[in-house]
Amino acid sequence: MEKFFELLTQMNPFDLVQVIFWGLAGAISFYFSMGNARVWTSISIGFFLIFISQAYGINPWAHYQKLTAFHYIVGTVAIMTITHGFLEYYVFCRTFEISGNKLVVYLSTLAVLALSGAFLIINPTPSPNTIRNFKMVENAIWVFLCVMNIEIVRKIYAAIKDSDISKGFIAFGIVFLCIFVWRGSDLYLQIFQWDKDWQDIISLMTEESSDIEEYIGRVQFSQDISRYAGVLSGFSVGAAFTYMYKLLR
Amino acid sequence: MFLLPKGSPLFENLAVSKLKLPDVLTKLSNGAFTGYASFIFQSSTAILVFEAGKLVSVLVEGQNGKREAGFAALSALAELMVITGSGALNVYKLSKDLTMCIHALLEGETLYKAQDLKLIDINSLLKKVKDDQMNGCLRIYTDEHSAMIFYKDGNPLGFFHDGASDIETSSTESQKIAGLPGAKIDLFSTQSADELMGTNLLEVTNIQKIWDTCVALHKSEIDKTNLDRQERDKKVISLKLAELEGQVKIIVGEYVGKVGRGIVDKELSDNGGNSCLIDADGTEKFMKGVERAAKLLVSGTNIKLMMEKLSSAISIGKSEF
Repeated sequence: MEKFFELLTQMNPFDLVQVIFWGLAGAISFYFSMGNARVWTSISIGFFLIFISQAYGINPWAHYQKLTAFHYIVGTVAIMTITHGFLEYYVFCRTFEISGNKLVVYLSTLAVLALSGAFLIINPTPSPNTIRNFKMVENAIWVFLCVMNIEIVRKIYAAIKDSDISKGFIAFGIVFLCIFVWRGSDLYLQIFQWDKDWQDIISLMTEESSDIEEYIGRVQFSQDISRYAGVLSGFSVGAAFTYMYKLLR
Repeated sequence: MFLLPKGSPLFENLAVSKLKLPDVLTKLSNGAFTGYASFIFQSSTAILVFEAGKLVSVLVEGQNGKREAGFAALSALAELMVITGSGALNVYKLSKDLTMCIHALLEGETLYKAQDLKLIDINSLLKKVKDDQMNGCLRIYTDEHSAMIFYKDGNPLGFFHDGASDIETSSTESQKIAGLPGAKIDLFSTQSADELMGTNLLEVTNIQKIWDTCVALHKSEIDKTNLDRQERDKKVISLKLAELEGQVKIIVGEYVGKVGRGIVDKELSDNGGNSCLIDADGTEKFMKGVERAAKLLVSGTNIKLMMEKLSSAISIGKSEF
């Protein structure tokens, strides 16, 4: 516990606020999944998993590289689960079919996470470069699926725009836009090797040079965007679920 | 139909609905019956004259005075028995000679019809009957009264008039009617009783087939009527169901929006069509399905209101079936 509080004090205030927001958003979305229809379960669990993936900053065992890699895998599973949920909702809007049950969704998510954990266990300890690759894959998937989810949310809104909760989907559209900016700016930095992880790698382990000094302005801008958009994303998820909860009450 | 002498009644007021024409005819024929059987229906009367078990004449007369004889009369009688489901059968035993006279009355040769008595020399006519040794029946009638004199070989067998149940030997009533203003006569003649014995309608007609055909026709008509009624009922039910379905769609659409119609269509389809709205079990499943889908789109308060409105509309709709 002492180590946990020590980590909290060492954390960047921005990252800490972001984790707190994601914690709140995760709690609200998880609570939302329990009291509502099955289709919401995937969406809620997905947003809850984002909190888990973001919580590595306050994880006392985060120095275990496999655990760090696992956080990124959880993040990837999170957006896939969310996308699955919105796809199901869209299918419902077109066919009015509601199938499956909540327990299967919970268990399936757990099974995917367990398999991911097993994948990490049976493979060698990831190097900092491998961990960075995990993070980059996660960001790429997030960016791609955010664009897809914005389109799905738009279609859902068009199908149900005269119902009580249609405006809630506009809120989710804003959420995905924030996440797209957050993850997109992070991915941008990674692709051009201007991210902090790469800078750490080349300063300690290789003799490679970086052109970051030449583009410090856009790097700084992207880092700021990523930071603010990250906080805004967490805040918007909590707000979107609270708004949706109010609409469905 | 004019009244006939009753002779010795064998059966009276037997319910026709319980009888089969072939059985009645076979029974009378096998019993060498002589006399007549009358079937009284609300709209028609049928007389069947038997001579020693042989069916010598059949006459069916409707309320409008339309008469049918022979094969056509048998068919008409079978049809009446099958269709009407009511009526009474009377069977009267008569002497051979009187039976012959009844036959003359029903199907004999008409020598005079509705002749005004004032214009006829009745004595000459009676003399002619006697001289020609005529077999037959002389009917004297006015609008209110009627009397018959039956002849065999030109000699009167007896007298019969309205209000009497059997043949009388006195001619007083006949003379009284003949004296009334506007009195008319009919004169019918026939062959002798022995010659009549050569005729048997039962030998030349397949009464069982006539009966079976009538029964089959009647059954097919009933079936057709039932089918028509069922189809009409189905159409009415289908119209009412469509109306109820429309109401349900309006209510759900009001709370859920345009996708509400789709939700109703889907739930109706899953529960066997709109007929589930008038079935308790089906309605319950339908309502649950709509509620479950609406939970994804509508607030809890609105769901409650919508379900109350739906429940009430379906209850009112159900009460009309």
